[in-house]
Amino acid sequence: MTLRSWSLLPVRLVATVLLGAPLGIVLVYSLLTRGDYGGVEFPWTAESFTRLLDPLYLGILWRSLWIATSATVICALAGFPLALFIARSGRWRNLWLQLVLLPFWTSFLVRTYAWIFILRDTGLVNTTLLSLGLIHKPLPLLYNDGAVLAGLVYNYLPFFVLPLYATLERLDGALPEAAADLGAPPWRTLWRVTLPLSKPGIVAGSVLVFVPCLGAYLTPDLLGGGKTVMLGNLVQNQFTSARDWPFGAAVSMVVLLVSALLLAAFLRHRTAQELL
Amino acid sequence: MNRRAFLLTAPALAGCATDARPRLNVFNWSAYIDPAMLQRFERERGVRIRYGTYESNEEMLARVMGGNSGWDVVFPTHNRLTPMAAHGLLAALDHTRLPALRNLGSRFQSPVWDKTLAWAIPYMWNGTGIAYNGAQVSNIDSWGALWRDDLKGRLTMLDDPEDVLGACLLKLGLPFSSTEPAHLAKARAEAIAQKVNLRAYLNADVRDQLVSGDVLAAQLWSTTTAQARAGNPQLRFAWPSEGFPLYCDCAAILKESRHPELAHEFLDFLLRPEVAAANARVAATATANGVGQHSIDPVLYPPDDIYARGFWPPPLPPAAQRLRDRIWTEIKSA
Repeated sequence: MTLRSWSLLPVRLVATVLLGAPLGIVLVYSLLTRGDYGGVEFPWTAESFTRLLDPLYLGILWRSLWIATSATVICALAGFPLALFIARSGRWRNLWLQLVLLPFWTSFLVRTYAWIFILRDTGLVNTTLLSLGLIHKPLPLLYNDGAVLAGLVYNYLPFFVLPLYATLERLDGALPEAAADLGAPPWRTLWRVTLPLSKPGIVAGSVLVFVPCLGAYLTPDLLGGGKTVMLGNLVQNQFTSARDWPFGAAVSMVVLLVSALLLAAFLRHRTAQELL
Repeated sequence: MNRRAFLLTAPALAGCATDARPRLNVFNWSAYIDPAMLQRFERERGVRIRYGTYESNEEMLARVMGGNSGWDVVFPTHNRLTPMAAHGLLAALDHTRLPALRNLGSRFQSPVWDKTLAWAIPYMWNGTGIAYNGAQVSNIDSWGALWRDDLKGRLTMLDDPEDVLGACLLKLGLPFSSTEPAHLAKARAEAIAQKVNLRAYLNADVRDQLVSGDVLAAQLWSTTTAQARAGNPQLRFAWPSEGFPLYCDCAAILKESRHPELAHEFLDFLLRPEVAAANARVAATATANGVGQHSIDPVLYPPDDIYARGFWPPPLPPAAQRLRDRIWTEIKSA
């Protein structure tokens, strides 16, 4: 072995131990039989995977895809103007970037709990609206799909803004200028020049938002009030009260597969971009 | 760490490794013991305690199932004891080493789940009933009341399949732990009918919203209600007329334990009246100890006529467990 491949050995070890081994365990578990009180037993079986074809579980998969897609679209609509604003705010851009990153200094759990205090009947929004006389009884803001979406968008928006900002920041400023010189109004420059050029950032941001949203379990649990099931909640339930580890592992494999397919499509897209 | 710092700390580390005191490993629910009592046991016996906590029976079971978890004493809920013993996880108790057993309350001297106290000693207990805001709603005394329209949007149920399906079954006059598919199908219909009125499925998280008045009625544990009442004296607790489940967490010694004598001494220590009282105060729940019971809060200690309507749910057979989980997923997806 050359020196170079020796020096890469720790990386390979870490990749094998921290990535390969856990995934291998999940795969093995998904193909075993459920132990009566948790755990897994022999014999091997693909039953957990065939069970996934049940319309009940396909419905949950569909629902998760739908919520994750909605969250990604909202992140894109809110994140694009924000990233553009930051990229064009000159010497203030570092300040704005820090503000986007600021929430990461606190725990994910605490931030999600904070939304309960914002959305509940005696929460910030409802008490404000009530005291302004705009409403006469509290709006049901918490424990529905809207609250889940709000929580997902809030938590994952920075994942969209940061890669998009990186793309926009590198964008050659002469191009929009040229468009303006040639008589394009600002909205047209944005639509025909800036937006197409920022596509790699948009794609990267979308993948970074969609993948964690698809497997989210804490946000739907806390802000959805346990009234809806997403794939993440299904997995969690199988490992806790249902005590069906093989099925939980099989659902995890499906989440992983969907995410991996998306990442593969994304990588192809990037390669295509670079080749052009 | 530089070399100097390492050389300075090495003897300290070595000191830990060669601590001659035996070590007892105790794995308990979080916030379920008075830390001062652990220190007292360490001092009295000249031992060390390694103390770990868990949040659910399943979490604890997942760790100890393999039989080499390193824990000595665990606190399963009463209906997990038979399956654990059947799996060979528990050590049989030696009553000659537990003279303080006589301190147990009369309700726990010979409990239905373990008549001879062969596997574990009852530790703390509570039941599932209904917490409600006495200033705003009244006549809540049955599970059936949780289907009332005046609670719409301000009602929560526990996020727990056994308790929710159980409440539906009791409302229908069927057994809480039924394994009959026909019974469970009826319970599912009840749960789905109730869901339109439901704000959320919440466990202990509902406490703040009961105190603030957002939630008017909640299926809840008596312990959590007793804690919430400290924040809002208007809160009441109903032990439902159709009957209600009671749960008792019990201290058991694992078969894998390498210090069974010390573990027995620890269990006997927990049975001391003043230790049981201190632990119950910290956990804010009901102790199974008859002598160490200082509180007379009827939410924690229902009087005999009400207590008679309670029952201790037995373990669910795995097939029924699986059917119930499917129904639970159907209810949640409805």
